Amino acid sequence: MTNSRRDIFKFAGGAVAGALFTPAPWRLITDTALWSENWPGIPRPARGEIRAKFTNCALCPAGCAVRARCVGEQPVSLAGVHGGLCPFGLTGHHLPYHPARLKQGPIEEAKAAVRKRAPDGIAILDLNPGRTVSWTYRRAMASLQGLYLAPESQPVAYDLSAAKTVLSIGAPLLDGWGTPANVNAARQNFRLIQAEAVESRTAVLADEWIPLAPGTERAFAQEILGALQGERTSVVARELTADGSSFVLGDAPEIPEINRLLGAYGKIIVAPSEAPVPEPWKKSAAAITRLADVPDHSIGVLLIDESNAASYIPWHFIEPKLTGDNPLVVTFAATRGGYARHAQYALPIAVYPELTDDIAPAVDSIHPTFRISVPLVAPVVTPPAGLANPADFVGALAGVPASNALRERADAIHQSAEGAIVTYADGKETPVKDLTADAFWKSLNQGARWDRPPGLSSLVPAASRSTLRPAEPIESSADLPLIAIREPHNPALVSPLMTKLYQESGLRLAPNRVALNPDDARAAHVPNGARAVLQTRIGRCSVEVTVDPAVPPGAVQVGGSPGIQDVCGPAARVKVVPA
Amino acid sequence: MIAETKKTPAARYGMSIDVDRCNGCGSCMVACAVENNVPPAASGATDRTGLTWIRVFRIDNGAEGSGRRSAFVPVLCQHCGKDAPCVSVCPQQAVDVDPATGIVGQMPERCLGCRYCMAACPYHARYFNWWDPTWPAGMEKTLNPDVAPRMRGVVEKCNFCHGRWHAAKAKAVANGKNEIDPADYIPACVEACPSGAIHFGKLNDPATETAQGARHPDSFRMLESLGTDPKIYYHSKKNWVREISSAPRPGLAKENARG
Repeated sequence: MTNSRRDIFKFAGGAVAGALFTPAPWRLITDTALWSENWPGIPRPARGEIRAKFTNCALCPAGCAVRARCVGEQPVSLAGVHGGLCPFGLTGHHLPYHPARLKQGPIEEAKAAVRKRAPDGIAILDLNPGRTVSWTYRRAMASLQGLYLAPESQPVAYDLSAAKTVLSIGAPLLDGWGTPANVNAARQNFRLIQAEAVESRTAVLADEWIPLAPGTERAFAQEILGALQGERTSVVARELTADGSSFVLGDAPEIPEINRLLGAYGKIIVAPSEAPVPEPWKKSAAAITRLADVPDHSIGVLLIDESNAASYIPWHFIEPKLTGDNPLVVTFAATRGGYARHAQYALPIAVYPELTDDIAPAVDSIHPTFRISVPLVAPVVTPPAGLANPADFVGALAGVPASNALRERADAIHQSAEGAIVTYADGKETPVKDLTADAFWKSLNQGARWDRPPGLSSLVPAASRSTLRPAEPIESSADLPLIAIREPHNPALVSPLMTKLYQESGLRLAPNRVALNPDDARAAHVPNGARAVLQTRIGRCSVEVTVDPAVPPGAVQVGGSPGIQDVCGPAARVKVVPA
Repeated sequence: MIAETKKTPAARYGMSIDVDRCNGCGSCMVACAVENNVPPAASGATDRTGLTWIRVFRIDNGAEGSGRRSAFVPVLCQHCGKDAPCVSVCPQQAVDVDPATGIVGQMPERCLGCRYCMAACPYHARYFNWWDPTWPAGMEKTLNPDVAPRMRGVVEKCNFCHGRWHAAKAKAVANGKNEIDPADYIPACVEACPSGAIHFGKLNDPATETAQGARHPDSFRMLESLGTDPKIYYHSKKNWVREISSAPRPGLAKENARG
């Protein structure tokens, strides 16, 4: 028997056809999937010993206690110790790797430039006041005869547990205003009335939402004030006075007076108690000055500490304070998105959780506390690029030693022999007087928290609360038909995973986006997802558009990016035009 | 060991979600992504092509002006207890229901990416990997070692943090126990929720908060009329929330609510 070429082809063809009826090719498909799982492009998670570390979140003054799950030394997830964390805090361990992070800057050059100009009208703007480093700044400014600037000259603390009714005029009470665990614990005990133009996350869970016409927040506050002064009647004012334990939150200038009339000062609103500070620091510290109180054209050198800023002050409030003749602005920042756009020198700083810093008192904490954000990872950016340490930088200008300030503060707290330290790993509370200074310092560096019950002297009411930003008058304008409603302040640097909320679900308004009512979007000829320009009296800013029927007609909800805030104050008149 | 396991009654894990406590902060969504190594959005990803194993939807009562009211509803795989549509349509047996836990699992290694399961799922709780998973340089160090990242071209979804279940099971076995300690097995979204709106546990254990939540007079399940026996129970005191969530189609629900 001879095999022709045709037989060979027939055999090969039959073999291929027959193979399709065997498990082999299907198995091959599965295996292909398995191979593809190990493609070099797909990262393999590191393996190692699992351990827990504890720290305090430094992203906002809430300073939530954090348990980090680590593989070896590397944190792979964060969780709250007392209740859940906000989405920014949950993803804090991603921040050191953020691609938009500021990684290098001319530190020595900036130092030389400041030395050359100082003390010619030097000032430092501290956007996260109340920390130990804030005392270093105040001491340095006193030595240089400069100004220490903070958003609030007289901060206050709120005791939510003492409130029975809360009227919030646009404040994000349930959305990042205070410590989530505290606010949620107190929430069952007070009635919340939320008055604002859009149904915010706080309004959704409020007992009552009062939809205001956009831009009428101040008029609403005036109405309440008038009612409390007996000039008119108001259902809400009656409700506030009915139970004798109410207060009002918001930005309107009338609110301090409303709270005074409600008797909230000293009962619900108190002066925040600070953890003990070394006596020599107090004697040699500059006073806290509001930016608004600084004469125009008086600051020649402005240093700005943006690390974990609790707020952002639009540039148009700062610029008039600078001298017209070539002012020097140096900012310590994690990204180029904030004041770095206006500064001659933008110096990179360590970010949470690679920095060591204490946390300013939370707005809802009447207890004096002291917590250190203990680094969970070594700084990702290392020399020669290097990171600037704002405290060392400013301290060196004035000859104020800054490197040991946290330890000195901890020693001062220990010497007071008051309060107790709570360790998160075991939940134990140990009185300070039972610990040596070294043991106290060691506990703080393992992510523990020092607390002292409030003494009577700490409950002295603040005289009044003053806002940094004066409320802008709403001018009627045909060429700027919309009124801006701003989203709450967010951290400057957020994890790339926040795209789940900004981009893949639209649950939160991204910092660079604006949301418009469908009718207004149609009138402005901007479809959903389009790029557009946000225009105000102050300037223009490029934005992306979301069309959302939840936004009331005549209003535009704006994201919290510094670029938008720079051109758009609260309740500003704006226009959205196609890009 | 096998005999011991057989003696253990099957668990029926589920969730109870209090819609009236959810403020839509999104902590559950990012906690889920961190735990399950879900990558950040690709530049072209949208709300239709993104990967959100749990997703918080904002719904409203359809009214205009001052009468409009909203609520936030977290939606994840409902872990259907009966006739899960995704299981029956999968040509690769890449989807299964674990009889020991009641969890509907997804095996990306078997998945061919045909997306039949996505079409079949009435809850839109399945997501397709349209892009290779990528993390910014250095961020891959923060990946959870208990969960393998999935490749492009496969479907994925919530599995009640199965990595955590395995860890809890391993711990129980190491301690000579058959039963998992409930404190050892809590999905990431439940752990992360700052307002305590989500409870997780065994629905077949009447003592659990989850089972009690499921029996709450105001509790409801999504699209219950389909008969898929979902194991995610929601509750809300608001009638309109319950009505919208049980409507056969979201669009239809809105029309109904407005009408």
